[in-house]
Amino acid sequence: MKITVTQEKLNKALNNVSRIAISKSTLPILSNVLIRVDKKKVSLITTNLDMAVKDFLPVSKSDDGVITIPAKLLSEFISNLPKGENIDITTKDDKVTIKSGKYSSTINGVPADEFPDLPEVDEKSAVIYKIGVDEFKASLGQVIVACSNDLTRPALTGVYFNTNNNSLRVAATDGYRLAEKELIKKVESEVKAIVPSSSIQEVLHSINDDTEEVEISFNDDLVRFRLGEVEIISKLIDASFPDYQKLIPKNSDAEVTLKREELIRVTKLAALFARSVGGSIICEAIPEDTFSVKSIANEYGENDSRIETSVDKPGRVNLNSRFLLDALNALEEPEVIFKFSDRVAPIVLTNKKNKGYTHIIMPLNS
Amino acid sequence: MYDVWKNALAEIEQQISSANYSTWFQDTSLTSATNGQIVINVKNTFYVKQLRNRYYDIIKTALEHNDVKVDSITFEVKTTNKTKVRPREITATNAIKDHIRTIRQSTIKPPSTENGLNPKYTLETFIIGSNNDLAVSAAKSIIEAPGTRYNPFFLYGGPGLGKTHLVQAIGNELIKRDPSLKVFYTPISHFYSDFIEAIQNGKGKEFNRKFQKLDCLIIDDFQFIVNKEKSQEEFFNIFNDLYQLNKQIIVTSDRLPSQIKTVDERLATRLTMGGAFDIQLPKFEDKCAILRAKAEQIGAEIEQEAIEYIAENVTTNIRDLEGELSTILLMSEVRGLTPLELINNGSISVNKTTKLRPTSPKQVVEKVAKYYGLSVSELKSKSRVSNIMVARQVAMLLLSKELGLSTTKIATEVGVKDHTTVMHGIKKINNSLKLNFILRDQIEEIKEKIYG
Repeated sequence: MKITVTQEKLNKALNNVSRIAISKSTLPILSNVLIRVDKKKVSLITTNLDMAVKDFLPVSKSDDGVITIPAKLLSEFISNLPKGENIDITTKDDKVTIKSGKYSSTINGVPADEFPDLPEVDEKSAVIYKIGVDEFKASLGQVIVACSNDLTRPALTGVYFNTNNNSLRVAATDGYRLAEKELIKKVESEVKAIVPSSSIQEVLHSINDDTEEVEISFNDDLVRFRLGEVEIISKLIDASFPDYQKLIPKNSDAEVTLKREELIRVTKLAALFARSVGGSIICEAIPEDTFSVKSIANEYGENDSRIETSVDKPGRVNLNSRFLLDALNALEEPEVIFKFSDRVAPIVLTNKKNKGYTHIIMPLNS
Repeated sequence: MYDVWKNALAEIEQQISSANYSTWFQDTSLTSATNGQIVINVKNTFYVKQLRNRYYDIIKTALEHNDVKVDSITFEVKTTNKTKVRPREITATNAIKDHIRTIRQSTIKPPSTENGLNPKYTLETFIIGSNNDLAVSAAKSIIEAPGTRYNPFFLYGGPGLGKTHLVQAIGNELIKRDPSLKVFYTPISHFYSDFIEAIQNGKGKEFNRKFQKLDCLIIDDFQFIVNKEKSQEEFFNIFNDLYQLNKQIIVTSDRLPSQIKTVDERLATRLTMGGAFDIQLPKFEDKCAILRAKAEQIGAEIEQEAIEYIAENVTTNIRDLEGELSTILLMSEVRGLTPLELINNGSISVNKTTKLRPTSPKQVVEKVAKYYGLSVSELKSKSRVSNIMVARQVAMLLLSKELGLSTTKIATEVGVKDHTTVMHGIKKINNSLKLNFILRDQIEEIKEKIYG
């Protein structure tokens, strides 16, 4: 096998693939990156058996062959080589020689037949969606905050892709809060799939300036995200996601429009005093023109901030300040709508203009 | 069929490296093997290709060695309902709630039998810890040979620590071993009402005879005997009769008989002849063990951290411990969160400690002075009259034990010179407490006044 490639290109590709290889694993081969040259097509592949990352590397010269190399070592070595230089990689048996100008090193590789065979998306039966990268990145970032990391409830550790009334939606919940976003307004095919949040994180990390479009292909138990040269294949979580549409309150007693920045500031202030009570803060709407955010810490004192806005009906609810901040940071418009009913019904937060994103939070016991 | 797969796995394990084995075969299972069509469950889709391409032959051979006909092997990804985790959704399911309710009901309405014993109390469900091991080993030796060594068996300790459970377990076990034995369990209050009823109906003698036939008499909550001399006499007679016949007598109470004011001295000394055993508050580890066992009994899952949190924050008794656990489990089910999540997000705060109401040092001193019929200034004076000194020392003890004040602070509160005097005073009163039950009672009464 032989490859000639610039340092920048190889470094970038290795950065993309080596993240998931650098995890501890019982099977040593999983910390290696597989480099394959097949009819001038060069690909780098890593896997942790929950997902796999594949990067197609544009090269100037190559001969066919395949080898695996410890990913961490290779990526650190390459990143320290001078930029702009060409790198030659050649293999002889299991020895991999890397040359760049005056620098040269030989790394012990492992034969590729020990590397696991990876599943592939069946193009014929796959359900495929395409979406602009900015939209994808923003939307997934907005919902992934609500994912749970509790492994005893697998359904909640992922992002739920589902179609509802011909629109593709993504949702996530950890049981205390739920975030939902409309990803594509009108789609033809249907899907219901939970993608592990770690895989989504990986996809979001892999997005770079060159990426323009994300292609998502679902199989029964597999999903593939294609971002330019990078492909991420992930298992799907085999569990049923809660019927979350039922959880979003349709009506509410009180509705208040608030400036997002201002609400963030008062929530942060209140959170300082809420540390000893598990982040619990009290949000209260007082007719006709006050929205107040309060917190009381027995030892330190208390905090009471007010925002002027028009209020029709009174209402009061205890919330976890961290959840509220997460939600406010996920919203994007200068003005947001804060809806609530009674002290036990979840509150609903949306942007004022674009209602595509909904975030609900369960109140705390008061 | 599952054993076949285990055998096959054992064979496969020897043929490949342990890293490969644990990676690829750990979570596999054989789901069907009809007509040579083998279906094997795997963890996720990443495992399918690997197993099919690399390990097909090994699996086939291993299965054939176990006399399984193999025509084809398919690999399927596991479906959720086969995983071990409890499927819980955000909407409440009623299963656990019902379960808790039935368990609670069975606690409220024990299926009482003729002998008064509730069969649900057994030794197997009694959790042994350093707080009760002595009492349990005595109980076991009673079961082996009733009416011999520990007779009467007197068990005492605070409420909700398992006294009733232990003595009923003895009764149940005795009957289990020898169904012909006549065992009778009754709280002392029922003993009275039955006795009075019997007298009123002119059946006093029958009542007496009924008891004399017993092989084992279990009397619960003996402390309620207070102020009922007539029935106490009857009890004393029955007690004596049974004791003479070497029948086992078991009595529980929340304190020693000598500390119960109205108990006749003759009865008090007789009750503790066979030794008095106490059940104390469980230690942290014991509490964790109790909670875990209880959760298992209900069939609910709870994190170790949550158990530790409850154990740490409930310091009153086992009943409260179980109460908190049920509350948390119920709430966890309603909210769709795990118990630990509930605790971490502040929805639940457990705080059952003996210090019911924080009170001020001044109040404590006032209450002590009032109890001993002194004025506060008298108590704080330099007087060395003995009753004033005792009152002062009691105040010191309470300030230190109940409010946790420093000795220097206590010195100013009770008007003595410095902290050494306080240290001496507390030491002295602690020493006399060991022997002087009247003083102990007095202090308990003062405590009730302070917190009540």
